[in-house]
Formats: sequence, C-alpha cells, structure tokens
Amino acid sequence: MPVPPAIYGLFADPESAERGMNALNRAGISPKRIVVMSAEPFDEYSFSQMDQATPMPWIAAIGGAVGGILGFLLARLTQEAYPFPLITGGMPLLAAWPTGIVTYELTMLGAVVTTIIALLLSTQLPNWKPKLYDPEVSNGKILIGVLEPSDSMRAELENRLRGAGAVKVKVMGVRP
Amino acid sequence: MTHRWGMVIDLDRCTGCEACVVACHAENNIATVGEQEASRSRAKHWIRVERYYEGEFPDVKVKFQPVLCQQCDAAPCEPVCPTFASYHTAEGLNGQIYNRCIGTRYCANACPYNVRFFNFYNPAWDKPLDLQLNPDVSVRSVGVMEKCTFCVQRIKAAEIQAAAEKRPVKDGEIQPACVESCPTSAMVFGDLNDPESEASRLANSRRSTKLLAELGTRPKVTYLQRGSWHGGENS
Amino acid sequence: MAAKTPEQITDDLLRPLSGISGRYGLGAALLAGVTVAACCAFFYQVYAGLGVSGLRWPVFWGFYITNFVFWIGLSHAGTLISAILRLANATWRRPVTRCAEVITVFALSIGATFPIIHLGRPWLAFWLFPYPSERGIWPNIRSPLLWDFFAINTYLISSVTFLLLPIIPDMALVRDRTTGLKQKIYGLLALGWTGTPKQWHRLETAMHIMAIAVIPVAVSVHSIVSWDFAMAPVPMWHSTIFAPYFVAGAIFSGIAALILAMAVLRKFLHLEEYLLPIHFENLGKLLLMMSLLWFYFVFSERLTTWYGNEAGEMPVFWATQHGSYAPLFWAMVFCNFLIPVPILAVKKLRTITGTAVASFTVVVGMWLERFLIIVPSLSHKYLTYSWGTYRPTWVEITITAGTFCGMALLYMIFSKVVPIISIWELKAGQHHARHGARIVQPAEPKEVEAD
Repeated sequence: MPVPPAIYGLFADPESAERGMNALNRAGISPKRIVVMSAEPFDEYSFSQMDQATPMPWIAAIGGAVGGILGFLLARLTQEAYPFPLITGGMPLLAAWPTGIVTYELTMLGAVVTTIIALLLSTQLPNWKPKLYDPEVSNGKILIGVLEPSDSMRAELENRLRGAGAVKVKVMGVRP
Repeated sequence: MTHRWGMVIDLDRCTGCEACVVACHAENNIATVGEQEASRSRAKHWIRVERYYEGEFPDVKVKFQPVLCQQCDAAPCEPVCPTFASYHTAEGLNGQIYNRCIGTRYCANACPYNVRFFNFYNPAWDKPLDLQLNPDVSVRSVGVMEKCTFCVQRIKAAEIQAAAEKRPVKDGEIQPACVESCPTSAMVFGDLNDPESEASRLANSRRSTKLLAELGTRPKVTYLQRGSWHGGENS
Repeated sequence: MAAKTPEQITDDLLRPLSGISGRYGLGAALLAGVTVAACCAFFYQVYAGLGVSGLRWPVFWGFYITNFVFWIGLSHAGTLISAILRLANATWRRPVTRCAEVITVFALSIGATFPIIHLGRPWLAFWLFPYPSERGIWPNIRSPLLWDFFAINTYLISSVTFLLLPIIPDMALVRDRTTGLKQKIYGLLALGWTGTPKQWHRLETAMHIMAIAVIPVAVSVHSIVSWDFAMAPVPMWHSTIFAPYFVAGAIFSGIAALILAMAVLRKFLHLEEYLLPIHFENLGKLLLMMSLLWFYFVFSERLTTWYGNEAGEMPVFWATQHGSYAPLFWAMVFCNFLIPVPILAVKKLRTITGTAVASFTVVVGMWLERFLIIVPSLSHKYLTYSWGTYRPTWVEITITAGTFCGMALLYMIFSKVVPIISIWELKAGQHHARHGARIVQPAEPKEVEAD
C-alpha cells in the first residue's frame, strides 16, 4: 500500500510537542489532518485533546442489557424445551434464583464483550498497515505531523516544526 | 391416577440377614469390587444394612436398618446434577439416567443418606458370573453414578403387563428384589397414592418414622419401629 | 526511586525479554518435567478410571475440588489489585497491575481445568455447555455447577481481556525494538497500534469500564464456587456465611500470591528499582487486613456452629478441632493468622522478605483451608454408619504438584515474552506526578484555507 505523503516532527518531550501543535494550528492546518502519536498517554496536554467524547460506557451498558436478556431467555426457554417437564428436587421448573444468577453472569459477559468490540471498532484496530508511523515513537519521541500537506505548505511546515523544537523533521511519501 | 411408589421397612422384623443386599446385587447387575477395593470403601451396595450397637456386653442391643435410596420428594441430589442425570419421574421416583451422567459426584455429596455410588472402575464379573446378568438392567460403565431404583424394571414390567391386560396394577404385584427376598417380610412395597395398599396402610401406623426427616427431604421410605433408638417414644 | 527517563524505564523493563540464562533454562525444565508428569497422571486416570485416586464413598470430592477452589480463589489477586486500585486511583499500583493480572489469568485457567479433571467421564464435559444437543436436552440451570460454568467463563473472558488490552501498547514497543520473526510476531500482537490520542483515550476508557465490570464478576465467581458447597445439605456446608467467607478468603490468597510473585520477579529479573519496598509494605498491610478478616469469618462460623450444638454438625466441628483433622486445622490457623499477623503488623518486620514469608504461609494455609472445608464434612455426614476417611494417592498429589509447577512455568514464560511491568502505565504515572493534571490551552487556529 503506498504511503501517503506526510510531514512530521519528532519531539523529545511533551512541552515541545505542545509548541509544535500550536505551530501547526497557527499555520491553519485543520485538526483532521494533524496526526499525533506517542508511546504513552499525555491526557493533560492539549495535543491529546483532539478526540471527541466516546459513548463507550453507554455501549457497554447496552451490551450488558442485551446479554442479560439473552441470559434470561437461555435460562427460561431451555428449561421448558423438553417434551416433558424435568422436575428436580421439588423445585419449580422455572426457578427464580438460578435464572437470576445466569441472567446476571451473561449481563456482565455482554458488557465485557461489547466493550472489547467497541474498542476495536472505534480505534480501527487491528490495522497492521497504518497510514503513518515511525518507530522512533517507541523511543519516547512524540510525533506531531500533517497528512498530505500541499506542496506549497511543505517548507513552511518544516520550518515551523523545527522552530517549535522538533528533534527531527521527516518528510514521507516520495513514490518511485 | 398416577402411582406414587413407596416402601415400608419394619425394623422390628429385620434380622440383619442381608438377603436384600445380595438379591439387589443379583437383580441390578451390581458387580462386587473385590477385597481391596471394598476395604477402600468402593463397594456399591445399593441397599445396605446399617448396624448400630448400644450398651455393653451382655446387655448389647443391635439395631439393623436397611438403608436404600429414599426416593425423596424434595431430593437434594436432583437439583445439583448439571446434566439432569438425576431427576424426578412422574411416579415419584428419583430416576438416574446413566447415559446423562458425567460423573461430577455432586449428587452423592448432596445425598444425606449416602445411598449413591460411583463406578470408580469398569465393573467386572468373574466368569461364569457374567452369564447371570439381568438383561432388563443396564450395566454401568466407569465414571457413572448409580443407586437404588426401586427396581424400576420390575415396576415397568408390571405396568406394561397390566396395561396389556387392561387392568390396574394389583397391590403386591410389584416386588423389588429386596422386598421379594426378605425372609421375615420386613419390607413392603406399594402405591402410596392408593389408600388401600398395604404400604399406605403401614406408612400410617403409629410406629412409623422417617429417616432424617428433619432435613426436609420428604423421603418415601417409612421405617416402623417400636420406640426410638435412644429409648422413649418415637415422634 | 531515582527519577528515570522514559528511555531508561523502557530499557530496564525490556531487558528480561532478551535471552534466557542457564539458571532459567534449568528451572523451566524442572517445572516442565513435573507438569508433564501431572499430565501423564491425568491421562492414566482417564484410562484406568477415578479408582486410581483416593476418592471413595462417602468422600467423593477431595484434592481435585480443593485445587479447583484454591486456584479460582488465587485468581482474585488481579481483580482486586488491578481493578480496585485502578478505580481508587492508587498511584502505587502501576508497577504491580500486570503481575497481578497475569496471576489471575493463569490461576483461573488452571482452576478451570479441575472441573474436567475430577469428572468421572471428562470427555463429556462439553455437556455443561448449553447447546441444542441431539439428545434433546439442555443443562440444568438449578445446578450450582452450571452457575460455575457461566461464572468462570465470564470471569476468564473478562480477566483475559483485562490483561491483554493494556499489553497492546507494550507489544508495539517491543515490535519497534526487534527485528525479523520476533518483530513479525509482536507486530501481529500489537494489532498495528500507533499511539494516537484517540487510541489512548479509547483504551483507557475501555480499561475503566472493564475495571468496573470485573469486580462484581469476581465477587460473583467465588460466591458461586462457594455455593457448590452451601447448596448441599451436608453438615457445616449448608451455611449462609460461605459466599462472603470464600470471597474474602480468595482475595486473601490472591494478595499473598501476588506478593510472592513480585518478590520472586524482583530478585530474578533485577527489578529492584521498580518493585519497591513501599509496594510490599502496602500490599503487606492489605494482607494483614485480609488475615484479620479471614479470622473474623472463621471465628463467626465456628462460634455459631459450637453454640448451635446441632447433632449433625458437631462431629465435623470436633473432628477438625480435636479429632483426626486437628493437626491440619491448627496448621491452617498458624499459617493464615498466627504467623502472618505479627510479621505484617510490626513495621520493622514488614519488609520484602517478611511479607514474602507471610505470603508463603498464607498460600499454604489457604490450601489447607479449602481441604478442611471439603473433606471433614464429607467424612462425617448425618448417618454415622457411613462416616469415612480420605487419603490422596500419587495421582492426586502429582496433579496438585503439577499445577503449582505449571503456574510457575507459565509465569516464567510470560515474563520472558511480555514485559511484566506495564511500561506505558509506569511512564504515564511518572509524568502525571511531575506535571499534575494541567490542561494547556491550545492557541487559536487561524482559519486559513491550507489546501
């Protein structure tokens, strides 16, 4: 898959990354084209604030409710599904307490599985060929860059990133 | 009206001869386990005669109590079986379906009477005893629980015969192996739903008592004894 | 801890992944040998029948169910430490969470094999799964064993997720530092993680949801395991205290296992600068609290039994206190209470060695406790004619030893393949501490048409 053009700077610490982000903002780059990558979450810095709030907790709750309904149905319907009722221990055929337990367990399972699926879908993982990545990120550098910059902006962006304190500035996407 | 099978055992008649134990082994294809395994408590006596001694020689009193599956109405062994191998039949018996059993042995732990047995090994019969197996009763394999069934094969045979002859089952027509073999007629088997049957009549006697009734299992085996074990009136 | 740069942290915590020493190889070989022996013992048992074990009438549950309850209990380490401390925002939890989560996953996996090992017909264990079978029958939901099935599977899926999700960024870290086949494998496991803020945010949200979800699951799992006993009319089993008693005991043994694992890791992986005395101190205090709680539960249960003087229960009571099970009972009290409490209560003794010693005795004591709950009661049920004894055979002892060695082996392998301390969480904790929660306002972007 061809790597799309991009220009990015590698910053050694969050403060300079912040400056780099501000520099890109001042250059008028729309946030949708700005890419940030780091080896640890920097929640309290503005360059990590680009993400909108996620409804994941609500999704998990809905998943739990679905799981609970499935558990309830499983517990109820399977006990009635015989050609004749299988009475055990003088207990009712549709016993409330065990039904409750099975419903509860499947509610929790539903919430957990839904959370996993929601996470994978919203982060679009697994995605083994990301649009842009630099292994320097794993050495502690913070990558702040722009996807598909116009040719005219390229030199200016390079200067701004360097001026903000980037340790390295790289240009990618030269296709043979 | 459906039947509700029950048994009455008269402890004042029981001599402890254990003919019932032998008859049960023969009727229900219960293998003996050998001396070594028996010493490791692996013997499977679906009915056993418990002996309790009281007093010092020469004033020893012995009580013989045949204990078999009580076919409880609120059987603790039934709800705990995950595969419905232990369940309650329409005629009030506690059924054990060998094919469903995966051998968790929870039922055996839950049974307060300890009347459930496990096949620790594949049962084996020394020749020529294998020729004596009862074709009406399945042979259980290793890993499966088994217990007294009130000789359900005899019950079924009598019911089928009665249905074919378009008549009700007569009282006393069904005799489980233990009942049939008892030399003092201490054991009576019958329909508890039939107030005229001998089993119902005896179950209502003043000497009747139930084993571990306080646990709420509602057993269908009634024991008759004059006076309780530790002396005094039985309740 | 002297402030380490993120690069130093990464280097230190990735060092264990590079190569194995002769000592490691020897240890792994020994553990693997015992584990293989245990597997052979199990196959022998399947071939010959459960008669090769020490089980008998009326003690139909013995070592296997003891191990089942013990290992499931041990698995509560991760839940408690990782989930509860995460929710409580305890900063000292960061180096400890993955150690704990790993214990949970492996202990739970081992514990979950025992319901199969102890079956009379283990090849039919799948009948516990609710599927439309050709026999026209579904499992019996009234059975506590079926609740076990649902609960343990839910807990297993939850705790595996809880372990694997935060491993993804560390897999990316290792991927970027290896080459060749190793890089391909770690790259696969990293799922293409790049570390964008969206990914971090979503991951942390998912972890938060999981932390909230896994705590009630863990509580329910060991309550349900306790109900395997409490639902049966067996003397001293049929007690309402069992659910909270078992959950408390599980957390107790889990913390002890965690301390032991951390002490071993610290020594053999040279993590002295990451697993600090303060971690052992804090966990030691938690262990002390759980030891007192355990004693409270045992005391309550035994006092009520003694006071009640019920004919069925007193033989079991006296058998454990004065009778044939008394040596094991008093050893358990020593191991769970009389030895750990002084060690953990006195600050001078609450060192890494001290807490490790206390934890070891707790692990032994908790195993004995599970045994003493199961076997004395089954040996002394209501009809005195059917009282019996139990003695394990080599099959059960080998399988038990195999689980301990298997657990250690799994842990050893894991610590060589995945960084045992969560690198990104440790780094995040460091800069949280340094900079606090400050939000920097971005400069207003100029609305210029860039393209």
